[in-house]
Amino acid sequence: MRPENYEAQRHPPSNEYELNIGPNHPGIEGNYAFKLRLHGDRVIEGRADAGYLHRGFEKLMEGRLWIQNLAITPRICVPDPVPMEISYCLAVEDLCGLEVPERALWLRVLQAELSRLAAHLFTFGGHAATTGMYTPMFWGIADRDLILDLFEELCGGRVYHIYNIPGGVRRDMPPGFIERVSNTLDYLETRLPDYDNLMFKNLVFVQRARGVGVISQEQALDWAVTGPNLRATGLALDVRRDDPYLIYDQLAFDIPTEDGGDAWSRALVRRKELFESIKIIRQVLAKLPSLPGPIRCPIPNPLAWNVPAGSTYVRMESSKGELAWYVVSNGSEKPYRTHVRGPSQMHAVQVLEKLSIGCRIEDVAQIMFSLDACPPEVDR
Amino acid sequence: MSEGKALSTWLDNLLTELEGIEIRRKSSRRLRIDVEASALPALLELLRGRASYVHLSAISCVDWPDEAQFELVYHVWSYELQSLVSAHTRIPRKPGVYISVYDIYTPAAFFERDIHEMFGVFFEGSPDMSKFILTEWDGPPPMRKDFDSEAWVNAHFDFQDYNPDWLQEIIAQGGGIAIRPDEQRFSRGPEPTAKGAGNKTVDKGTDER
Repeated sequence: MRPENYEAQRHPPSNEYELNIGPNHPGIEGNYAFKLRLHGDRVIEGRADAGYLHRGFEKLMEGRLWIQNLAITPRICVPDPVPMEISYCLAVEDLCGLEVPERALWLRVLQAELSRLAAHLFTFGGHAATTGMYTPMFWGIADRDLILDLFEELCGGRVYHIYNIPGGVRRDMPPGFIERVSNTLDYLETRLPDYDNLMFKNLVFVQRARGVGVISQEQALDWAVTGPNLRATGLALDVRRDDPYLIYDQLAFDIPTEDGGDAWSRALVRRKELFESIKIIRQVLAKLPSLPGPIRCPIPNPLAWNVPAGSTYVRMESSKGELAWYVVSNGSEKPYRTHVRGPSQMHAVQVLEKLSIGCRIEDVAQIMFSLDACPPEVDR
Repeated sequence: MSEGKALSTWLDNLLTELEGIEIRRKSSRRLRIDVEASALPALLELLRGRASYVHLSAISCVDWPDEAQFELVYHVWSYELQSLVSAHTRIPRKPGVYISVYDIYTPAAFFERDIHEMFGVFFEGSPDMSKFILTEWDGPPPMRKDFDSEAWVNAHFDFQDYNPDWLQEIIAQGGGIAIRPDEQRFSRGPEPTAKGAGNKTVDKGTDER
């Protein structure tokens, strides 16, 4: 949408007008544009416009070694990078038939759930800000920072960790890490009632979020809605439970659901998932000391690693929904084709376009944040 | 478990109704089906309508230029059977036209639009084949194997030696760290061969270590 390429559309005289939200706007999650056709303040039509974050990762990955691609994978989704790393590693391990040591699997779950906590806190902040409440945004981002501190201690990176490699994880926890994670979880648990008071008992949020962007169960299944957005329609479907990976089948956790299908229900499901993730992390922390074992299995020389030919499809539950990789190898030292399916490819495009029809202009941003759409996943 | 097994044999029986397909079970939750391009819509209709595979997870396209074919892979998931079917089909690379499955799976619209943009495969009947991500790109479809992005970059862009005025001023005053042009990362000078040639030249005026 460079100015020289922009042509204003000529409509016949009417009460309708066009509005571009984005690509750089506080009401848009990331660099993403949404073109609205409006009648008064009602949306008649919304069109998603992506491409501002396209970095061509799938093409780049075809030109790099299997191990080099680890640096690319977390950048596909900035707020929740860990599932990208883990699922890519799972795909390579599946192609090579690697047996990952158990300790590494538990460490991966620890990392994935910490990342889910961080991503949900981030989304809380964004969702609240679109309804005009900035305090939850500051709180959510401040509390997310505590989790980023833990990541920094674990692997040196705050946002892009690159902690996983095919065959396991790069290094073990530093001494005293379990205690510090536990302390942070204790603190987060004391914060949850505050979040309830600030957001979910706040009349501003209740009245703004209830009944906005409603998805029915049939629509959710038809539009391939996944993750917390699907569970907000009352369906207890979760890849961690339905298609277990890592060691999720050994963990006790509930799948929270809500019946409304609206922005309010989606926020509430995320709020309940915070509690479930804390529960999972506590189980992992209790189990880790009894697992001495190595943290990765031996892999061939990564700079001359010919992954056996074949293809695999790996699914995972990220904080936003179903995340999947289709990876094809032709037996060479670089991937032949990688295709990432992010949950936001549905949520930010088709679902958002359909939900915005008929809603009021001020709710468009809220619907996008309540869907937890992540534009970098769409563009890749 | 026995219930799951019964369901999967029921699925196997159902699939025998179709001719010309090859089924490979990779694991208890992963099924690979190779199918002719003409039979794929019928297979997907069967999977969605009678076998509860309601969730289209993704459509992937793989370019095989040596065989002059595109491989299209439809990944569908059943919440009830808890299994994934990957339906593989191949279409000729030229003219690269196929049928949309939008009427069976709504999410196909996004993936077909994406494949059209990245590989140049046209899907007949898809609701929107306009550009989405590469709005201002008029070159060949970039995800095709015969598009070499590195060659394109070398043909269209120049690498610059980074030597701005403010850095020259600092160096002239005897400060900062200067990297000789032949040691810069993107320089086109001779390759450093001597041992230690990769070290940065440190101006001794500021570094007294």
